[in-house]
Amino acid sequence: MIPPGFPRRAREGSALRKRMARCVPRAVVASILGVACLAIVTGAARAQDFASPAPAWPPRPATAMLERGLPAADPGAAIEGVTTRWHGLAELTTRTAAGALGWRALRIAAGLSQTGEPDVGWTALALAAGAAGPAGGGALRAAARRDRTTPFGFDARGADVGVEVGGGAWVEATPRLHVWASAPQLWTRGAAPPLARPLELGAALDLGGVMAWLGRSGVAGAPGGGRAEHALGLATSAGPLDLWLAARDQPLRGGGGLAVRARALRVAAEVESHPVLGETARMALAIGGAP
Amino acid sequence: MFVAAIALVLALCSPASHPIVAEILYDAVGDDTGHEFVEIFNPASVPWPLAGVRLEAGDGAGAGRWSLRWTGAPGDTVAARGRFVIGGALVTPPADAVAALDLQNGPDAVRLAWPDGTTEVVGYGAHTFAEYFCGAPAADVASGESLARVPDESDLGSNAEDFRAATPSPGLANLPGRDAALVGGTLALDPEQPGPGAPAILSGAARNAGAEPIAARELELRASEVRPEGEVPIASSLLEGALAPGDTTRFALPLPGLAAGKRLLRVRAALAGDGSPGNDADSLRVRVGPGPLEVTEIQFHPTQGEGEWVEVRNIGGEAVALDAFSLADRRGAPGAPAGGSGPLAPESLAVLAQDRLLLLAHVPALDSTRVWQVRPWGSLNNSDDSTGIADVVTVRESDGTPCTRVPYSAAGVPAGVPLERRGDGTWGPATDPLGSPLAPPRALPPIVGRFALTPRRLRASNATASVGWSLPWPRGRIVVDLYDFAGRWVRQVIPETAVSGRGERAWNAAGIPPGLYVMSLIARAEGGGETLALRQPLRIEGSAP
Repeated sequence: MIPPGFPRRAREGSALRKRMARCVPRAVVASILGVACLAIVTGAARAQDFASPAPAWPPRPATAMLERGLPAADPGAAIEGVTTRWHGLAELTTRTAAGALGWRALRIAAGLSQTGEPDVGWTALALAAGAAGPAGGGALRAAARRDRTTPFGFDARGADVGVEVGGGAWVEATPRLHVWASAPQLWTRGAAPPLARPLELGAALDLGGVMAWLGRSGVAGAPGGGRAEHALGLATSAGPLDLWLAARDQPLRGGGGLAVRARALRVAAEVESHPVLGETARMALAIGGAP
Repeated sequence: MFVAAIALVLALCSPASHPIVAEILYDAVGDDTGHEFVEIFNPASVPWPLAGVRLEAGDGAGAGRWSLRWTGAPGDTVAARGRFVIGGALVTPPADAVAALDLQNGPDAVRLAWPDGTTEVVGYGAHTFAEYFCGAPAADVASGESLARVPDESDLGSNAEDFRAATPSPGLANLPGRDAALVGGTLALDPEQPGPGAPAILSGAARNAGAEPIAARELELRASEVRPEGEVPIASSLLEGALAPGDTTRFALPLPGLAAGKRLLRVRAALAGDGSPGNDADSLRVRVGPGPLEVTEIQFHPTQGEGEWVEVRNIGGEAVALDAFSLADRRGAPGAPAGGSGPLAPESLAVLAQDRLLLLAHVPALDSTRVWQVRPWGSLNNSDDSTGIADVVTVRESDGTPCTRVPYSAAGVPAGVPLERRGDGTWGPATDPLGSPLAPPRALPPIVGRFALTPRRLRASNATASVGWSLPWPRGRIVVDLYDFAGRWVRQVIPETAVSGRGERAWNAAGIPPGLYVMSLIARAEGGGETLALRQPLRIEGSAP
């Protein structure tokens, strides 16, 4: 059984979508290979402005496209608000608002985010555009950041601006296996981003009622990319509830999340516990998108 | 019959009604030449001519080895109750008759042969042949000491009974009837460095070195300050108690306030009829007010292999040469600084190190010209004694004048953390757990919370921040690490270190790429299980590569 929210229903769509399903895989596979070639270094996932509480697979309509360049398989509109408290630090809280729109195979998303107190924080604006279907998808994403210099987050006169452009893609390798690649910072200019994020590779396998995923991402600056971070997780659904558990290494840490769906409304929360830095907690409220 | 036998024995050592050998110096310090002497004492009330008297030296290595050293000439006379010294040219005061005695160290002997055929033999050391001593030989004395007859007229029938080791006193009584002496080296000032104009107590010990008792209020102790123009009396006091022969007593003289600077104080024991004025006085170099150097930091228990060190500051108005000072602990010999260079400018700091090279290797940024090696180094104690003091760091000028003295307690000082003089003059564990040699101490302002990072935003080109902590315990151990925004370990900022409750340390973030980081401090109470985990964000600005 495929848990609700996973793109099974997409495969049962219209003839147009079925035609797309036949032609998209080749393009998506090419996109993944291209992204992988461009991103010689490997990178981390889920560590910045637009991360939302959700399993690594499937991608959330707005936040996953803005954060990782992975478009959702289903079309439709969605908006999502996320707040994240990093490592238990109140002065390091991220507030995010993002929206996505899908029409046929086209996917676009935009988001605004603000992180941290004025002396360490920044404001980010992100845009993403791409295409997706039942068998695969890909998107380009761009984010601009400006440091905060005053308590009012959008007044950043005199602060440096940084821009990053990257992308991601996914493909349905088999009816039960999805693979993805994300390189969100292929091109950067201006002020450096808060976290260098090179390539992330991942795969999710439908085990019949349980979705398992594996991910590998490197550490920027590590010699030869020899130091990588690995992630694994399990997700399942029970009625309106989605549950997931995830773990990462470097250092070993883990967490879990819970989402509740009621029609188009989704409320989610996730906690990850770090052995030294404490807990990072996320909460999100979303309207629209896949049920 | 018994009395006659006793009389016969007594007669063997010193002929009746003759002058007697009173003192022999046969082993002066260093080269004996010119310093040896033999003193003859005439206990009679009439002068005694010495013409024809022969002074012979005996070599105890074999029988019959006597050799002449001096013969009394016509005109040589020992006065009534007087002394006649036969000795080398360097004897002080000059000998009555100069002769090269060339006396051997024991077992040997001196013999006085009188023209009437009588002799007196004084033997010293472990003898084999009986001709070299009378009764039993006197004990050999140490180099620099004389063999003196005490009391001066003692004649108990045995050299061992009559003679003992003494300070050489040619021409003077060995045991005068009345003699008050100051015990050398006992003078002390309390406080050791009084403030200008502040009263102080000058104390010491006096001894009745004579044969007769000293009655109460008979001995006066007079303190004076020695100035270029002469001695200026500053205090005196009569000794209230009586003093029996051989007894020692402490005295204390309240002094009025003295002017700032180096001072030489002298105390004299004034006693009517004192038979030995040479031991009446002693002197003490003191300093009133602060000296030109003050101790500002003490590393007495290093844990990083850098060796012990003491930081000093020139608080005088003029440059000083550090090699004109000495450093000592409470019990060690003063060590002389060497290896640095140049004078120490006013308000400048210098480090006196147990091992200069080790310290420079450990802290390469130090100005090597201001790091001095001290030898010998008095190893500083790490734990308190029963008085609550671990040790005393003392700096003196080369002439012995005190400069500064810092008793310190090691209680509550985390291992490896130096003691530091704070701005208010008090001492406490250094705010930087590694100490701050050649850097002035800083007064740490209170911080908000337990862990502070200042500033939290750094430019990569000027990436130095201050890591501060304020633990809920007086001391503990901390470790500080840096993680990136994703929670991955990046670098250790402070390895596990023993620290005091409030501390701060500069940290340079050079080499860390721009980005957002989280600094983690984990603290553990010393000797307890309590722990604390704290975090601070850190932003390092810079351009994307």
